[in-house]
Amino acid sequence: MMENREIQTILPHRYPFLLVDRIVEIEAGKSGVGLKNLTGSEWFSKDHSFYPPNLLLESLAQVGGVVLGLQARAENPQGAVEGLFAGVSDFQFQRYAVAGEQIKLKVEMIQHLASMYKFAAEAFVGEEKIAGGQILLSFARVTP
Amino acid sequence: MEELFHRLGHPFPDIMIDRVLDVDKDKNVRTLKGVSADEFYLSGHFPGNPILPGVMTLEGMIQSALLLVNELYSRGKVTCTLEKVDRLKFRRPVVPGDRVEFQIQLKAQADHSLKFKGKALVAGETATEADFTLKISVREVGFDL
Repeated sequence: MMENREIQTILPHRYPFLLVDRIVEIEAGKSGVGLKNLTGSEWFSKDHSFYPPNLLLESLAQVGGVVLGLQARAENPQGAVEGLFAGVSDFQFQRYAVAGEQIKLKVEMIQHLASMYKFAAEAFVGEEKIAGGQILLSFARVTP
Repeated sequence: MEELFHRLGHPFPDIMIDRVLDVDKDKNVRTLKGVSADEFYLSGHFPGNPILPGVMTLEGMIQSALLLVNELYSRGKVTCTLEKVDRLKFRRPVVPGDRVEFQIQLKAQADHSLKFKGKALVAGETATEADFTLKISVREVGFDL
């Protein structure tokens, strides 16, 4: 399990674009489960209580970033890395999540080619699956 | 425009379009957004290294597509939700000073689903591209009095 403070040691994202609150399960380089609480005081909930679908994609990608970042840190604690959100394929939304709900963000690496990592990504509210598909991250060590 | 997106039920508070360049026969739309260093979410993406989040270019595409939906259903109440995203590729980073041109094409329309193909270009180069589907979830035909 990782609290937000620790997530911030891996991801460069900060307010208002750090879109994962806590990691509850993680296997470095393989899979991870993150949580994102939706509450009424967030910047995107001015007029609507829905979680914007593009930000849900970003939340899932950030959990993927933690999965890869944790592995890179285990291999080389001082090494610099660069991760980028590279793409999304075949991603379907069943419904939008609303304020008051807690989204479970589940990612699992399914393919890896050079610096490209493909994840199966799913979002749940309780036991209900609200969205799912594949996301692609580019992740590489930066040689100084 | 804010009112328009609200009417279409789109859950995003910020408008990712500055200008509509042209709308042609309800099938194509071109819009423009300038990216500036003082946009508030750039402070966290990333501190000291502002890059427009890729998902924000997706947002610009969705909003541009909603302008087309509005052309198609100018009467009555329509609520749209994003149903599917496919072949989304972030090809190059977009940074402050860039002007992003969104080009959206309506590819197919069946029942309550509208399929779009979108591109975000910076100086003629594709930064982001995607296929996405919007679903009309509620439609009440109204009459203008």
